[in-house]
Amino acid sequence: MGYEELFPTNDLKGWHANAAKRFASPFVDNFHDRIDVDPIILSNAAVHCGFTIRDFYEKPELGIHTVGYISELFDLLPVTHWFFSLPWIRDLGVTLEYKDTLPPVSTGPIISEPEEVEKLEPISKEKLKGGNTDTLFHNLYGYVQQNLPHTLVPISYGFDLAGAGSELCGVENFIMWTFTEPDIAHKLQNVYVETSINGADLLSDTYGMAMLIVGSVLANNDIFSDEMVEEFSAKLMHHYVDQCFRKGAGPQIFYHLCGNHETDYKVFKKNLVWSPFNVLHIGYMGQKEFPTEILKEEFQDVTTIMGSVDTKLMIQANPKKVYDRAKETLLAGRDAKKGYILGTSCETPPYTIPGQLLALTRAARDFGTYGTW
Amino acid sequence: MEFIIDAAVKEAYEAKGIKDEDIKAVVEGAGKDRIYNGSEFIAKKEIGDMTVYARYKMEGDKATILSAYKHKMKILDIVLVGDDTEWKYCANGAVVKAGHTNLTYLGATRSGPSLVEPESGQSWFEEYLANGALATAEVLFQQKRA
Repeated sequence: MGYEELFPTNDLKGWHANAAKRFASPFVDNFHDRIDVDPIILSNAAVHCGFTIRDFYEKPELGIHTVGYISELFDLLPVTHWFFSLPWIRDLGVTLEYKDTLPPVSTGPIISEPEEVEKLEPISKEKLKGGNTDTLFHNLYGYVQQNLPHTLVPISYGFDLAGAGSELCGVENFIMWTFTEPDIAHKLQNVYVETSINGADLLSDTYGMAMLIVGSVLANNDIFSDEMVEEFSAKLMHHYVDQCFRKGAGPQIFYHLCGNHETDYKVFKKNLVWSPFNVLHIGYMGQKEFPTEILKEEFQDVTTIMGSVDTKLMIQANPKKVYDRAKETLLAGRDAKKGYILGTSCETPPYTIPGQLLALTRAARDFGTYGTW
Repeated sequence: MEFIIDAAVKEAYEAKGIKDEDIKAVVEGAGKDRIYNGSEFIAKKEIGDMTVYARYKMEGDKATILSAYKHKMKILDIVLVGDDTEWKYCANGAVVKAGHTNLTYLGATRSGPSLVEPESGQSWFEEYLANGALATAEVLFQQKRA
């Protein structure tokens, strides 16, 4: 039995048709009913459907089907996504293992000394073809094309360019080398980024306009200064998107700045590539959700923005807190020049309480309906 | 002015709906309103609902067309100015910078990465972007606003 036999079809003429119109709203100024809600639902969708976190990652086709199915329940996005933070890394020699409560994690670095970095080379497009990551995503999007075609948005991603690259040598070594051996750290990043660009090129051959997801997660103010975030992350993100565009990927981009971007957010505006269709999401300022007011003021000229409700609230037994925080961010961001989306500060936790997702959608209906402000 | 146009170049721009007379209008009408990088020029001109670009080289009165491309999104104002590029603007000799420029299409305004010259307010979009991201964006705008 295929996974598709486990799920009823989405309500295509009702829910999906309406959600699709809403989804386009912020990007084309053709406002439809209300502000969209994107809690970056991943393994929580599998949990809602009775599967496990491990099932979500170990069985990507099942995982993405749960996202497509459960999005209807909470009136979320009409498109599917499935991803984890370490694409292309297996092609470079890192082994990943599946966990019961986590996305796949590395079993350990493949190098430990700076001299070993010199021997690493990016993996060419030809060598990526048919490899771990290429096969995973072609199988995944092939499944969606066949079983959930109304939700298909192929995604080609490098994700956290600094963080994923650091898996080659271990995060501790990488952070140390950014201070003591910056050329080595750059060389290491280059290997990962050029491999990811070749991967985007490969996927764009099949899917054309593949959406790009790229972020700055390890590179944040808890670890690095603004200058180092610029040097080891923002400039790299620019290079990645610029090169992916030149090879046919995009123009949709989701920029995800996870973690604490208290002051380094200022280096991203001048460094990133802003396309006609991009969303910028910043998780935190210090310990708190990144203020939507600053997000709007700083970035509304160049991008659709996504405001945040703290993911901690999504697992507390208090839906009203979620509703109230969603209200605050909606009121602050809903009139952003190039559109606004209500989100959570990162992937909503696997054991997110259904009532909290309903609270987000309720708030979007109550305070995000176009024409009411 | 004599135009030298390779058959493959002509076939490629005709497939985009660009005509010979469009190319000639862009190049002959450019004057100093063009940018250069070494021996290569880029000039643009609004023709109907398109902005048509020609990439070309000049030798005396002979223009060798390297490629031509277009976009339907209409160029508006510069929104971000970044680092210097290798390009210079013929009209004032200024170094052209990497930047972002607003574009409007079907009632929506969005920005895209561009070449900009802040003093004159001029912007140009490169070929890879016009043929890729902007062309895709135009299709998405048409679909989503339908």
